[in-house]
Amino acid sequence: MTVNGLRTNVQLVPAGGTETVVFLHGMGTDSLASFYLTLAPPVAAAGIDVISYDLRGHGKTERPVEGYTLGDFVADLDDLLKQLGVDRPVHLVGNSFGGTLAYSYAVANPSRVRSIVCIESEPATEVWAGKMSEILAHTVRFLQVEESFDWIEANFSAHHRRLARMAAERITSTKMAEEVPLGPLLTWEQVAAIGCPVLSILGSHGYQADDLEALTSMLPRGELHVFEGQGHSVLVEQHREVRELVLRWIERHAA
Amino acid sequence: MTIDHASAVFDVVAELLTELVGDVEVLGLEITPGTTFHEDLQLESIDLVTFASILAEHFGADVNLAEYLAEKDLDDVIGLTVGDIARFVGERTCPR
Repeated sequence: MTVNGLRTNVQLVPAGGTETVVFLHGMGTDSLASFYLTLAPPVAAAGIDVISYDLRGHGKTERPVEGYTLGDFVADLDDLLKQLGVDRPVHLVGNSFGGTLAYSYAVANPSRVRSIVCIESEPATEVWAGKMSEILAHTVRFLQVEESFDWIEANFSAHHRRLARMAAERITSTKMAEEVPLGPLLTWEQVAAIGCPVLSILGSHGYQADDLEALTSMLPRGELHVFEGQGHSVLVEQHREVRELVLRWIERHAA
Repeated sequence: MTIDHASAVFDVVAELLTELVGDVEVLGLEITPGTTFHEDLQLESIDLVTFASILAEHFGADVNLAEYLAEKDLDDVIGLTVGDIARFVGERTCPR
């Protein structure tokens, strides 16, 4: 379907339920597959309607050269829900950048969000923008060197080499790396005003390892779950445990 | 599952795969039970989602590849073979 002017790959699993979950995947090599092949089936089996889609520039959704600010991603989600006729508040479940998008969407549309589950994510504050700029700039430099792919294969696998190639193609053929950190950024006051329940799932060695509790403690209805010894890839490496956390969370926060 | 059923299912799965990869003969590919989805066919995880829809459309909603994969570990999904998919489809469509 066409969302906010872009051909967008959307996968719906209607369950006829009273709750709706929207899965928001991460950036770079990610696509809706990371949720569709892990959490979507059990969530739908629990009677919860599932919406998954490939974010702009990812998976099988159109990849424009520019238009990658958080404002663009928020507008896409808003248009998607309107076009699908979803008029009840939804549970947003985001992985990495998808969680950042969930926070921004909740700030812009507080009445449309029932709850948020963020996996290894933080809101788009100035701190986030600085971190993202650094990570993306490093990634662009790293992926422009051919030997980097040899290193990835030697230290990880041929599969990871292919993923890195894919990420390099996406990042270097678009303005994604430049535009994503532009925001619009959120103030800490805006973040603290997010009134819906928020579950933050983190790895103790993930991207928020420097201060695991800071964000959650400022959210009025924030809760934290930390996987000890886990890095950033919480969703794929702990998907069974994440599934149980998400199912219990939605049950607790259903209308 | 009988050998005939398993063999027939494999042939259909291999045929349906051409909707994703194109003409295997033109591409110089041979699809065997050991052919891996990612490495040999150079497909991505998002293609598994598309293939799940193709399988459900052909065999019916009981053949839910996403549900099957949700129980697997990442390494199993990365190493998924056409034979794995055919076995799963065969079990779901086995005449009783």
